[in-house]
Amino acid sequence: MPQTTIYSAPPRSPLVPIPAVATRDVARLFGRSAALAGVSLEVERGRMVAFLGPNGAGKTTLLRILATSLRPTFGTAHVDGIDVAERPELVRPRVAYLSHATGLYDELTAAENLRFAATMLRRSNPADAATHALAEVGLEADGARRVRGFSAGMRRRLALGRLLLGAPSLVLLDEPHAALDAEGAALVDRLLDQWRDGGTTVLVATHQADRITRLADGWARLDAGVVVELGGAGVTLPAAAPAPIPEPATATAER
Amino acid sequence: MSGMDAIRTDLGVAWAIARKDALSELRGRQAAGSTLFFAALVLLLFGFALGPDTRRLTEAAPGLLWLAIVFGGLLTVARLHQLETEDGALDELARYPVERRAIYLGKAIAGLGAMLVLGGVLLPVVAILYGIDLLGAAPALVLALVLGSIGFAAVGTFYAGVTVRLRAREVMLPLLMLPVIAPLLLAAVKATAAALGGDPLGELASWLQLLAGYDLVMLLAGAAGYGFLLEE
Amino acid sequence: MKTRILGAVALLAVAAASVNALFIVPADLNQGEAQRIMYVHVPSAWLAYLSFGVTALAGIGYLWKRDLRLDHVALSAAEIGVMFTAFAIWGGMMWGQPVWGVFWQWEDPRLTTTALLLALYVGYLLFRRLTDDPHRRAARAAVVGLVAAVDIPIVHFSVEWWRGLHQGPTIGSPDRILNPAAPMQFVTALLAVLGAFTVAWAWLMIRRYQLAAAEARLEDAARRTRVAAARRATVAAARAEEATR
Repeated sequence: MPQTTIYSAPPRSPLVPIPAVATRDVARLFGRSAALAGVSLEVERGRMVAFLGPNGAGKTTLLRILATSLRPTFGTAHVDGIDVAERPELVRPRVAYLSHATGLYDELTAAENLRFAATMLRRSNPADAATHALAEVGLEADGARRVRGFSAGMRRRLALGRLLLGAPSLVLLDEPHAALDAEGAALVDRLLDQWRDGGTTVLVATHQADRITRLADGWARLDAGVVVELGGAGVTLPAAAPAPIPEPATATAER
Repeated sequence: MSGMDAIRTDLGVAWAIARKDALSELRGRQAAGSTLFFAALVLLLFGFALGPDTRRLTEAAPGLLWLAIVFGGLLTVARLHQLETEDGALDELARYPVERRAIYLGKAIAGLGAMLVLGGVLLPVVAILYGIDLLGAAPALVLALVLGSIGFAAVGTFYAGVTVRLRAREVMLPLLMLPVIAPLLLAAVKATAAALGGDPLGELASWLQLLAGYDLVMLLAGAAGYGFLLEE
Repeated sequence: MKTRILGAVALLAVAAASVNALFIVPADLNQGEAQRIMYVHVPSAWLAYLSFGVTALAGIGYLWKRDLRLDHVALSAAEIGVMFTAFAIWGGMMWGQPVWGVFWQWEDPRLTTTALLLALYVGYLLFRRLTDDPHRRAARAAVVGLVAAVDIPIVHFSVEWWRGLHQGPTIGSPDRILNPAAPMQFVTALLAVLGAFTVAWAWLMIRRYQLAAAEARLEDAARRTRVAAARRATVAAARAEEATR
């Protein structure tokens, strides 16, 4: 079994803490297309960073890799210094991920969905945790309704509620404002504030650049799987210039 | 975490998953019911294929029963994993910080429940259609049914996990599963036949032991391997 | 070079052992010339099971070490195993016709077990083709191969009991009704083919492994090229855009 690899960049001052997120030339292929073509960046602990870019830029893929749902094809990604590919089970308790799909069970009620999630997240009192989370996202009145009847916005809220059940140090949000009305969007903003106050690192992939960049510390713009621009505080390129993806020794014709 | 605590947590997780699946199944629209009806229909069709001589059907009854259970079972285990793909729930499930074997166990328990219901529904159908007297054989028959169902659920849950995200999954599930199921089928049919016939050769115990051994081995293998199926 | 020598040795060994088995060793007293099929059937069956074992072990090895080379071994063993399994069944059937009068006999436990073995292998190979990503494919194949391997002993037992409890065989299995004219010669001939075929198997494994490894290297190079090309294209476009701003 490979050792846990603590991310070790070129020597850094011992006063600088391990970044919350550190990727090195992380690339991911789906069949013939490269969703990520070598992304290297570091995110400082406790910061909120926005990932911007058009559809297909690789934002979702990057988040999924950090959430341990995908293995990188090349390169490495570390969360709190732990390699997501080698020891995903150590990464999972630290990360909460809101994806496009809400991952809810249609035939269960909202409360049952959350109670299930709370049990799986090892909460000592799942029922209480679920009730509390429902209240936080404004769904206490709909707790006993089956998710089958929920609108897209309500499902999103419920999924947000699920995020609150764990104790993550890293929160990954994929288009959190999508499908939400003004009230729902305000809820998201409130949660973002809560997380920042609590020192949680937050990564948000979004189209709505203006809304998020108001709240975020820094941002990174992706295009076709590559980071083309960085800005603000909290997100940086790694200390050493990233090595390019090693090319094959001999020219190989594309198949 | 001590060994006992770990087991208790695993069981808790498994039970939560089994409960969730059971609730979904019970509340789901007609899907479970349709499968039961389909399996009963298969038994009817066997009658057309092998009848009208009832004696031949009575002789073949144990085999036909288990074939119907297998066909219905394939649909059942596939459906239990399908639950998870509807809204990306499988991804979500894979991200929880729980032991993979606990997830497997939970789904296998749910599968077992569904299989037992299936078997329970088909027994009276077989009794009626093929002229079998069930009551005399009750305890041994139930044991054969339970052990066979455990084995099928163990293997089926595993292979449903293998094929859930695959293209051509409808054919891959039976294609991969049926050869592995062959000894289970053999033993279950033999045990059922022995139970119904009063066990003239004294072979019932051996077959039940084989079933139990199969169940144990497959549960262990499934639990060990399931985790590797969830990674992308 | 060493592999070529091995190949030559294998060829010679198989040729020599076959000539011995087919022409030199006297025919069986009970089964006649038909018995000679055993000299192909037995080694094929042995290699089928050996291959299967290798596939399963290599799979476990991959899950432990995540080394794709072990997956190449698993794949090679599976393909070669399918071949020998098919030979074994074919041999069994060809033997069955003159001796039993039928091609297939359900009461012969080895025939039915080998048929299931073939089904498991073919399923394994078909399953492999459905995943493109090498590491995912290797992990999933390893797990499927493991469960299949675990199944085989159970199949063996169950089919043995199936036959045994069914009022004893009226049909004999190949080794029961043997009556070799010259027992020592028979045994040495059998050992000779077993050895020769195993050498041939080793050569096949090495060649197939080399092929798989080469394919993997090509695939890996192609993927790296794709990623690098995508990266270059995007960086160039971004720079161009910046220049015009």
